[in-house]
Amino acid sequence: MIGIIAILHVFVSHFAVGGGLFLPMTEHKAYRENNPALLEYVKSHSKFFVLVVLVFGAVSGVGIWWSIGLVNPEATATLIHVFVWGWAIEWVFFIVEIAAAFIYYYGWDRLDPKTHLAVGWIYFGAAWASLLVINGILTFMLTPGKWVQSQTFVSAYFNPGMLPSLAVRTAVCIALAGVYALITSSAVHDVALRNEVVSYAAKWLLLGTLIIPFAGIWYISTLPGMAREISMGGAPAVTIFAGLSIFLSALVMVFTYFGPLRHPRNFSMVFAFLIAVLALSTTAVTEWVREAVRKPYIIYGYMYSNGLRLADAERVQQQGVLNSAHWVRTHEVNPQSLERAGKEVYRVQCASCHTVDGYNSIRFAVKGWSWAMIDYQLAHLSSLKGFMPPFEGTEAERQALGAWLASLNPVPTSIIVQPQASAVKSQPNVTDEEGASQP
Amino acid sequence: MNPVIPGPVPVPLPAPPWLLEFLLVFTFVLHLLAMDFLLGGVVIVTVSGYLGRHDSRHHELARRVSSALPPVTAFTITLGVAPLLFLQLVYGQLFYTSSVLMAWYWLAVVFLVLLGYYGVYWHQLQNDELGPKASWVMLGTAILFLLVAFIFTQNITAMLHPQDFYRLFMQGNVGTIFGSVPLLNVARLAHFVVAAVALAGLGIALLSNRWRRESPELADWGRRYGLTWFMGGTLVQLLVGLWFLFSLPVEIRQALVSDKLAVGLLVLGILLALLALLTAPKSLVAAGLAVLGTISMMAVLRHFVRLAYLRPYFDPHSLPVKGQWIVFSIFVVLLLAGLATVGWMLYMLYRPAATRQASA
Repeated sequence: MIGIIAILHVFVSHFAVGGGLFLPMTEHKAYRENNPALLEYVKSHSKFFVLVVLVFGAVSGVGIWWSIGLVNPEATATLIHVFVWGWAIEWVFFIVEIAAAFIYYYGWDRLDPKTHLAVGWIYFGAAWASLLVINGILTFMLTPGKWVQSQTFVSAYFNPGMLPSLAVRTAVCIALAGVYALITSSAVHDVALRNEVVSYAAKWLLLGTLIIPFAGIWYISTLPGMAREISMGGAPAVTIFAGLSIFLSALVMVFTYFGPLRHPRNFSMVFAFLIAVLALSTTAVTEWVREAVRKPYIIYGYMYSNGLRLADAERVQQQGVLNSAHWVRTHEVNPQSLERAGKEVYRVQCASCHTVDGYNSIRFAVKGWSWAMIDYQLAHLSSLKGFMPPFEGTEAERQALGAWLASLNPVPTSIIVQPQASAVKSQPNVTDEEGASQP
Repeated sequence: MNPVIPGPVPVPLPAPPWLLEFLLVFTFVLHLLAMDFLLGGVVIVTVSGYLGRHDSRHHELARRVSSALPPVTAFTITLGVAPLLFLQLVYGQLFYTSSVLMAWYWLAVVFLVLLGYYGVYWHQLQNDELGPKASWVMLGTAILFLLVAFIFTQNITAMLHPQDFYRLFMQGNVGTIFGSVPLLNVARLAHFVVAAVALAGLGIALLSNRWRRESPELADWGRRYGLTWFMGGTLVQLLVGLWFLFSLPVEIRQALVSDKLAVGLLVLGILLALLALLTAPKSLVAAGLAVLGTISMMAVLRHFVRLAYLRPYFDPHSLPVKGQWIVFSIFVVLLLAGLATVGWMLYMLYRPAATRQASA
């Protein structure tokens, strides 16, 4: 859910910035060339812009905030504690941005060209500044740099990934401005004007996509070693997606070059949407990789992706998960409540990344595994699955979690293998509890 | 610290709690002004749109007010971000807990707002094409926004009752626990909705002044019509407010009564509302300022109620603080610069329009 909201938001919000550059620049071009037809096109594009950006961009941005607060309240709270003034500053830019966008849109006939253009530039300034702020907060999660020791705002915001990521995202903004402009320009009726704006929009898209690889290499050079490894062979799924990201970007470039740039006359709205879908897929894949390489952390080297701070890990291991977390329904593990306790441990430690049957299904992940196999995996998570946080909790809790996980895929009793039960004193009757604990 | 409430995050607050609470209440008032005009405006446009089928003045008013609603929606959302940010900063561990328990309902807010937003645009951009169906679109939008208000009321009240929610948690599935809807919440919701309708009435009366050059009759009628909503709403609010006050638990009410400042705020707020009623027919601006005073008093009082509820569990003043004063100063400077920029743009937008109309 976060993923879908986030990817759509990224796709729209980068357009909000890039489109903010596209509008005044194209308006300026129209004045300079004394080209009223082009000016008419900018006007119609600005309506599309307002409807997409102000509504969907704003609401989906709030949507991301809503969902991260629900899925990972600890990390959200930490980010807000560190960056509240950053967000407050971003909020100021949003207010200016929204006011400027409406005034730009309503002001076509009411403002003189110079003032109208100035409002357009104010919009772009505020929009890019809002990217400047949020970009530093985003890269903080993957490259918190010196903050982990110093805990100051400056060290958190000016983290190693901040500048290169800003370069990547600005290039993406320019490219997406081209993508959206291709959509609106393909709908222009006047053939001469359409040819002109189609190839003009294609240049935006190509310029953006040309900058991305260079900025991207700079960005990748700032990543933690393990994050680079994960994307380059360490975890096959992530590597495939990273490759796909490059492939799709290249595809966008090729299509744009041979399509709208070289042959604007044959360009159609279907083609425009094809490029938009490719660009959206590129965005989706790339953002997914960016999220994936951060594992097993949500704030690198400070907090695991399940919300557990590294500083608390040892305490949780000694006290146990069920005694450390407040919102659990059972605080101890005993043979009668083994699977119930296991399910609670799952909810606290695993549920921020896994669901039982849906996204990243845990039932599927442990299919065919015996309880002993699961227990072994849990005990060695960080060495066997480096992208997952280590299991933190008592041995009894680990076995309870294993018992519950094993119960998700019932197997004939004859082949049930249990771990060396040292913490769980008496042997639980696994088959009796299988049905009872199904969610 | 109560065992039911998760501990606050170990990172210190970036400013003292009083400043964060001030910003929380201040930005909440800003959000209320936009939200009241939106929610009340949507309700009034629905009613006028319905009446407008046989009365052209109602039809015209609905159309004109509707065209003001998209920017108001944008500002309602954006101005709402700041108070929610400060709320999460100071009361995060309470707010996240209640939100997670009602996660699916809480998440639904995003989609309800998105649909409502497009509803507002649909009504505005396709008003002629929709014809009589337009008021149905607005009715749907009103229902969406009222649902949002209801979910907000429920969550923001729930975060004050950690004990009750712990009991529900033991019985239900995380994410789908909405809790019961006590009469208190109905009164609270009614208090907000009535305020919204009254304030939107005043806003429409103010807005109608801008129609004067084009159609003096419509402007006069719009002013009277808006004032009817404002005065009717404010009178009803006196009753609803009392109902809300007396639905608060006895211990909370006692805590308020024993606090001279709280009593002062309440009395002053009511007096200002009465003053607004008296001055509204003569001066809309004076009434507006008085109402702004009432809203501010009530917002502070609301904060006192929250503190009274949470006293047994949590005191924000016990949290560690490490001020980030330089970044805070940048925020203040940018805020002033930003407001000046918006002011300049608005001035430029409206000034030439006036001169153009004058010369026409």
